[in-house]
Amino acid sequence: MTHRVPASARALLVTVAGRTHRVRVWPSGQSLQVSVDGAPPVEVELRPLLGTTHYRLTAEGASRVVGIRRQADGWTVTAGADRVVVRVEPDLPVVRRERAGPSAAVREIRAPMPGLVVAVEVAAGATVAQGQAVVIMEAMKMQMEIRAPAPGRVRGVHVAAGQDVAGGTLLVTLDPPA
Amino acid sequence: MLVANRGEIAVRVIRTCREMGLRVAAVYAPSDRNAPHVWLADEAFPLPGDAPEHSYLHVRALLDAARRAGAPAVHPGYGFLSESAAFARACRDAGLRFVGPPPEVLELCGDKAAARAAMAAAGVPVLPGTGPVDDHDAPELAGRLGFPLLVKAAAGGGGKGIHLVREPGQLQATLRLARGEARAAFGDDRVYLERWVEGARHVEVQVLADRSGVVVFPERDCSVQRRHQKLIEESPAPSLSRRVRERLQRAAEAAARAVGYINAGTVEFLVGADEIYFLEVNARLQVEHPVTEMVTGVDLVAEQLRVALEGRAGVPPGEVSARGWAIECRVGAEDPHEGFLPAAGRIEGVWLPGGPGIRVDAAVYPGMEVSRHYDPLLAKIIAWGADREEALGRLRRAVDETVIAGIPTTLPFHAWALREPAFTAGRHDTGFVARWEARRPDPEVERAALLAAVAASVASPPPSARPTAPSRWVQAARVEGLRPWPL
Repeated sequence: MTHRVPASARALLVTVAGRTHRVRVWPSGQSLQVSVDGAPPVEVELRPLLGTTHYRLTAEGASRVVGIRRQADGWTVTAGADRVVVRVEPDLPVVRRERAGPSAAVREIRAPMPGLVVAVEVAAGATVAQGQAVVIMEAMKMQMEIRAPAPGRVRGVHVAAGQDVAGGTLLVTLDPPA
Repeated sequence: MLVANRGEIAVRVIRTCREMGLRVAAVYAPSDRNAPHVWLADEAFPLPGDAPEHSYLHVRALLDAARRAGAPAVHPGYGFLSESAAFARACRDAGLRFVGPPPEVLELCGDKAAARAAMAAAGVPVLPGTGPVDDHDAPELAGRLGFPLLVKAAAGGGGKGIHLVREPGQLQATLRLARGEARAAFGDDRVYLERWVEGARHVEVQVLADRSGVVVFPERDCSVQRRHQKLIEESPAPSLSRRVRERLQRAAEAAARAVGYINAGTVEFLVGADEIYFLEVNARLQVEHPVTEMVTGVDLVAEQLRVALEGRAGVPPGEVSARGWAIECRVGAEDPHEGFLPAAGRIEGVWLPGGPGIRVDAAVYPGMEVSRHYDPLLAKIIAWGADREEALGRLRRAVDETVIAGIPTTLPFHAWALREPAFTAGRHDTGFVARWEARRPDPEVERAALLAAVAASVASPPPSARPTAPSRWVQAARVEGLRPWPL
């Protein structure tokens, strides 16, 4: 393969017509670059056309109107006579949850994607509530809050603001609440 | 003129009234207060509620609106009270002209069993069938008729109360079903039996009658139906022999005379291999009337008004010839990918087609709430061409460029049907829609759908990636707070 997928690319698992594809997507100017199953990327542009349902899709040398509706685990896309159900889920590098059972476990909060740590919102020893932001990350020009999955006390902070991290890097560990 | 209807047909009638210099009063249910038929009329009167019996079926409220408007005549459109003998009589008693046939004719045409008998007596070919049946004598009559057969509501219309019975074992259950439906829809649970013709086509003939005679228009084919509801209509009918066409014209004229028809109406037939059978008379303006207008240049609403107000049609009795070909697609708020389930919701945006040979009769606007109370028809797209091929090409193009955002519509079905070989060759019959249910998506569309879904997911993450349960917290954290890109 001669093309390169940037480290910041979003990784998705996309299922269409019973087949699941590994998709990498990253921005490029006004449009997106999309690589499906390791193939060279194609340029894709999706612009709002009418209401919340209709868009103009430009890809692979053709432009068409598509109707898009959000579903429980993806989208239905209607184009011409056809409607296609597309399931989209994150293709995570490593997803580790509780180490030793769900109850009295140390919880690890890891980077969901490669990116830059913008800020660390908590310090060791702090008590956090479920859903509280612990780290702010930035990737592909987007910021996101990384939140505590459960209430707890911060055992350790393993990254610092300004640090570039790989996907799956340990950010914060939590002890169960006292 | 009081227009006692809503939606595209109210708009259609208002247009001709205005062209003829008539002042128009509209009526509206509360949810229709912003509808086009309201602001296109000279004045509009509110009706008490949204449910049909509190609005467009509310005889007293409609007559009251006519009185307040000082309207001397009422156009009922189609559906609602258009074929109600009681309403036509109430109009007459209130000193109003009803734009349609006299009550006596409506009564006869509305009783399907009586109409069949009148046709048979006048020598119009009818399908072998029975008069109204009771549960006791039905099995024997059915056995004599042969299976498969249809159970039909005597007071039926609009495809309601019609059921196919393939074998004797299903007869009693189907009778119960049809009676229940007929009682609910028409307040009359009488049903009759009629032979079923496999692979038949539904062909109908528009007539226009005044006291001096009957005008017979070129036939329309309405074979593209789902559950006896029409989806695509055209005129003339494709692949029809000259002999059958002439028999249809003669039979339609005889049928109109047999019931003493006055004003515009339609005689429906089933056409088998070489046989024609009378089905029923639709004693009103029909949804699909524009295809006839496109090939003849006659404004059927104007003719209705002339017959009702002046006593005579503007077209001389006899046959009207067709020039070119016209095809109509009914765009409805129904989801063709979900068994044509009615779709409710808010219309967010609309782009309607235009260009050479295209006519659009619609009453759809951004912000419109599609109500469960009324017919799902949103728009009719009609194409005219010098021949069928040109009309088809224009209609395909027009359907492709139409966008109705916010709710599912029948547009994808039309995009398919207008390219389906059985339809393009004009060989389709009333079983055509079954092919839609059986088809597979185009791989090229699957690929486009994948790319569109990926782009949509980036702009706004799929809900599966939102926090649903703590166990999915990593995914949750990943996308929380993502801002959409400036696409």
